[in-house]
Amino acid sequence: MTSTEIKCWGECMDVAVQIAHKAGKVVQEAVKQEKRVSSKSTPTDLVTEADQQVEDLIISTLREKFPSHRFIGEESSAAGEKCILTDEPTWIIDPIDGTCNFVHSFPMVAVSIGFAVKKELEFGVIYHCFDGTLYTARRGHGAFCNGTPIQVSKEKDISKALILTEIGAKRDPATLEIFSGNMLKLLSAPAHGVRIIGSSTLALCHIATGAAEAYYQYGLHCWDIAAAAVIIREAGGCVIDTSGEPWDGCFR
Amino acid sequence: MAEWTECMNFGITIARQASKVILEAFRAKKDVMLKSSPADLVTETDQRVEKMLISRIRERYPTHKFIGEESVAAGEKLELTDSPTWIIDPIDGTVNFVHRFPFVAISIAFAVNKQTEFGIVYSCVEDKMYRAQRGGGAFVNDVPLHTSGQEDITKSLVVTEIGAERDCLALCTMTTNIMNLLAIPIQGIRAVGTAAVDMVLVATGGADAYYHIGMHCWDIAASALIVTEAGGVVLDTDGSEFDMMSRKVIAASSMPVAKRIAQVVRAFPCTRDDEDPARVNNGGHCISSGL
Repeated sequence: MTSTEIKCWGECMDVAVQIAHKAGKVVQEAVKQEKRVSSKSTPTDLVTEADQQVEDLIISTLREKFPSHRFIGEESSAAGEKCILTDEPTWIIDPIDGTCNFVHSFPMVAVSIGFAVKKELEFGVIYHCFDGTLYTARRGHGAFCNGTPIQVSKEKDISKALILTEIGAKRDPATLEIFSGNMLKLLSAPAHGVRIIGSSTLALCHIATGAAEAYYQYGLHCWDIAAAAVIIREAGGCVIDTSGEPWDGCFR
Repeated sequence: MAEWTECMNFGITIARQASKVILEAFRAKKDVMLKSSPADLVTETDQRVEKMLISRIRERYPTHKFIGEESVAAGEKLELTDSPTWIIDPIDGTVNFVHRFPFVAISIAFAVNKQTEFGIVYSCVEDKMYRAQRGGGAFVNDVPLHTSGQEDITKSLVVTEIGAERDCLALCTMTTNIMNLLAIPIQGIRAVGTAAVDMVLVATGGADAYYHIGMHCWDIAASALIVTEAGGVVLDTDGSEFDMMSRKVIAASSMPVAKRIAQVVRAFPCTRDDEDPARVNNGGHCISSGL
């Protein structure tokens, strides 16, 4: 990386933090209002007007500051835009992670902003909309929660592990059977417990802070994990595919 | 009743005092012991906080009785009489506490003539004080609470826990229950790791139902009143009347949602809390430090 690029990505991250705060406040207000809810791929894959409005707000603000940059956003992708990661500086955005929680006012909802250049994740910013906690990390510069350095747990024994996961939106019998089987195997390890909080980005942040030892999920999209992957790695953790192979950023 | 209001306010005061001890220990290294299973954890802080709460209450109300999780684990008889009785879980979510997963609650319920008069659940890390007095409504940090009112199970978000049992029957029952509910379909399942906090989330309207099998009276006595005072319902998992000693509960925003969950979930056998006078804990052994 050139020194110009280093400076530039630092500036990009500062902007990301500002827009995450701004978008988070919009979400905080929206959660108190009546919500118009529709579904995407399944009846349990929810989306609201707020998802779309918040994504528009984030992308338009970033596009104005960085007109040559590219964008991958959850709602843009749902609307038909291609989800392709090139070498260009690219923002990877989940405007409301935990839309089901948002609809119910279950207090775990986040704005997630990741940034990649030459297909390498450079930084991640995740803002907890209910309690205002900000998680940030920049490649090579450590991971932070509200400005305080964070580190993953040192636990290596699965039988002393707390594990997080999410159900996802699919409800067909085959998927549910796999989900059930995975949970049973882990609990039989016997892991200390399994937690499900409804926001994959916030769950991943709990791994980065050391509050839980592992997270697994099938069916994640790149916008769910781009920012959190940087935060976890910079906190000393690792991110791999469920097969045990190296993780491919957009491979579900 | 006004006389119990004074007790409740005292309960809130000592819950705040206890939380200072818990939060200091939250960040520290912990020695962890096992109770009934490799996932049923207890720490010295659980025991110390319970002793502290009981001794302060006893000093103020010397005739009152107690049911405390760690006292019972140490061999005290668990019996709910007509006497004014404090039902205490000093740290609900001990696994969370050990891991620093930020959902840990002090749960204090108070019963007279076997009826719960007030309930306090203090989610310490979040600094959320949930309370309800019978007939007086439910509150969090003095803001009134209302359940969601949701009557449609397919629009419901349901909270539960796997629990501490790790035998095959319990695990299979719990995972099958989750899968059968998801297949209805409900909108989602959540599990934050403390029965008390799970249930008060129903009282806030943030979730539409909670169910569990295998928890104890001290886990849910307080939050059950908070749910009903917020407009919700509590039942046994078989759809019959709620009994805090049965070790089974459904708490829901509405009766239709509660009944629908009762149709789906199955319970594994649990000894009632008030049925085993010779209940003895093996005393545990230290399994790890450094967490």
